[in-house]
Amino acid sequence: MTKNTIEVNQLAKSYGSKQALNNISFKVREGSCFGLLGPNGAGKSTTMKILSGLLDADTGTVSMFGQGIRKAGNAVKDRLGYVPQSITLYEKLSAYDNLQFFGEMYGVQSASLKRRIGEVLEQVGLADRAKDAITTFSGGMKRRVNIAAALLHRPKLIIMDEPTVGIDPQSRNHIFEMIRTLKNDGVTILYSTHYMEEVEALCDDLTIIDHGQVIAQGELIEVLDRFGTQAVYLELQDGQRPPSLPGSGAPAQKGRGWLLETTNPLSILSQWAQACQSASLQVKQLEIVRPTLEAVFLSLTGTTLRDN
Amino acid sequence: MILNIAKKEWKLLLKEKGTFFWLLGMPIMFIVLFGSVFGIASSSSVTLPYIDMDHTPTSQSFLKTVGDKSGYKLEAHQSEGMQDQIDKIRDGKGTALLIIPQGFEQSVKKGDGNPISLELYREATSDSVIAPFRAVLENLANGYRETKINNALAESGQTKEAREQVLAAPFTIKDRMENGSGYNVITQVVPGYTVMFVFFVIISMLKRFLGDKESGMTARLRSTRMSPMSYLLGMWLSYLVITLIQCTVLLTFGHLVYDLQLGDLFAICVLVFMLAVCGTGIGLAISMLVRSDNQGMAFTQLLTMGGAVLGGLWFPVDLMPKTIQTISHFTPQYWAQKAFQDIMLRGVHISGIVNSLLVLAIIAALGLIVALVRYKRFLRTALG
Repeated sequence: MTKNTIEVNQLAKSYGSKQALNNISFKVREGSCFGLLGPNGAGKSTTMKILSGLLDADTGTVSMFGQGIRKAGNAVKDRLGYVPQSITLYEKLSAYDNLQFFGEMYGVQSASLKRRIGEVLEQVGLADRAKDAITTFSGGMKRRVNIAAALLHRPKLIIMDEPTVGIDPQSRNHIFEMIRTLKNDGVTILYSTHYMEEVEALCDDLTIIDHGQVIAQGELIEVLDRFGTQAVYLELQDGQRPPSLPGSGAPAQKGRGWLLETTNPLSILSQWAQACQSASLQVKQLEIVRPTLEAVFLSLTGTTLRDN
Repeated sequence: MILNIAKKEWKLLLKEKGTFFWLLGMPIMFIVLFGSVFGIASSSSVTLPYIDMDHTPTSQSFLKTVGDKSGYKLEAHQSEGMQDQIDKIRDGKGTALLIIPQGFEQSVKKGDGNPISLELYREATSDSVIAPFRAVLENLANGYRETKINNALAESGQTKEAREQVLAAPFTIKDRMENGSGYNVITQVVPGYTVMFVFFVIISMLKRFLGDKESGMTARLRSTRMSPMSYLLGMWLSYLVITLIQCTVLLTFGHLVYDLQLGDLFAICVLVFMLAVCGTGIGLAISMLVRSDNQGMAFTQLLTMGGAVLGGLWFPVDLMPKTIQTISHFTPQYWAQKAFQDIMLRGVHISGIVNSLLVLAIIAALGLIVALVRYKRFLRTALG
């Protein structure tokens, strides 16, 4: 039976009259990468802060490793690494000094701390910059040290609150690789983001929240299957319109081609191929398109995630 | 954990050169500047021009006596340049001009009841500079008058004893310094600026607490094993030690460079410790009270600069109006400065500064209580 590292039950939190979280519940499987997806202001950071022990919920319960987080105190903190959305490092100190400080705060024994700092710097690809002040680092490098600070005490669960905001593709790829390695090592990851492609690339399970409420959750594939619609994409030479298919809806333009949503993509693909051949139209691209989280979000809320 | 937080803070401060400037560079600069300015003003002579139109041994002897007694450096000018000198004074470019008229010797020797007038031209704002000079001139005039009376009594056949009895003043003044002889401008300036700049540590504390709050560091640290109280105590400890080092450096500088007599070292150490506790205690309170950097800076400036003036750090409290003197008792600076001067000037020991230590301890305790009461709110806003 799969164990759950986190169990959130009916969590609610309000700031004054604003309801930030409205009775959300979800479970995070041990060793999985769990995505918490939602637009800005959906309640992701509030959820992350409650799970990290920074905020108290108004109602509801959170248990980690089978223990209530409030009662467990340091027993949970020792196994939890929290990567906040903002870069919280001392800019004038070196990467090494910052990590030393966080290591001490996490209670890592000084005898092993030096070695451990070397390991995590290696892990984030900054071993050669250990003695450089953070202020000399690029945004992406700072993000990597920000993550490294949460790994020093070898946590079993890492909570990452939008760890890739505003970084270069190289650093993003590095962080993705790091997350995959951590997951392979059995670490559970709770990953909050408003980038759908990140969840698609990294996560096994997800919860989508909007206005403090859960609007969809489950395994990534299951959510895509349940809420997403399959489609066929056709792009013709010189941007020509595709031939219309009897009994199918009108295709919608997408980029240089056309997208036709359908429950029977194979049939549409075949019909379009034949129609193009009959009409001697030159096909540049014809394929079945996998449903995306963007489409899921659109179908659930009527808006795109980025509009939010 | 507490020590680790303090260690991190010391590392950060070592990287921030501005902190050294505020805590050590500035006070040393002030001590050197004001020590030199007031030291020169009290020890060196002001140059005053004069024109001797009499050119006699008596006038020369008179001018030499004036120079010796007043400490002013007299500078001879020719009578042809008199108008130029007067014009200079009128234009505010000169301070004063003394003119010994022709016939000075004759008038002194004759003493026929028609005294000749020395002319002292002076600039309207030069009262404080000229007053001592004028007092010396009047004193010398009195001396000449006494000589004249003495001569007249001698001529009338009075014995020496009788003449001395007549000329003896009805009272004399004996100057008795009761509280040590070491007072000079340095005993005002060194402890004064040491006390003043101790309170500048509040600026550094404020910047760090608010900086940690704004950057999310305070919130992030809550996800670690670190307890909220460790954070507060660690930060406090770091600045307490920094303030102790600051006081030690400044007082040592005063002792080595200006030969400042420190008095009872144990008493000084206890006082410095209590002053550091007080300054950092207030720093914690302000850091927890204010909502923004600007608000904190306004509070701090008011406390450091206002307290410095009221507390008698720049000039002795006795020179201020009675009401202000009463108000000064409510500033920590007053009690710290008083205790420093009690030890350095009046030679008192720990028992002699108990009141000052008690007041500093009470203010420190108030600061710490305010900080503790407000700390929950500080954390709440940091985590929100």
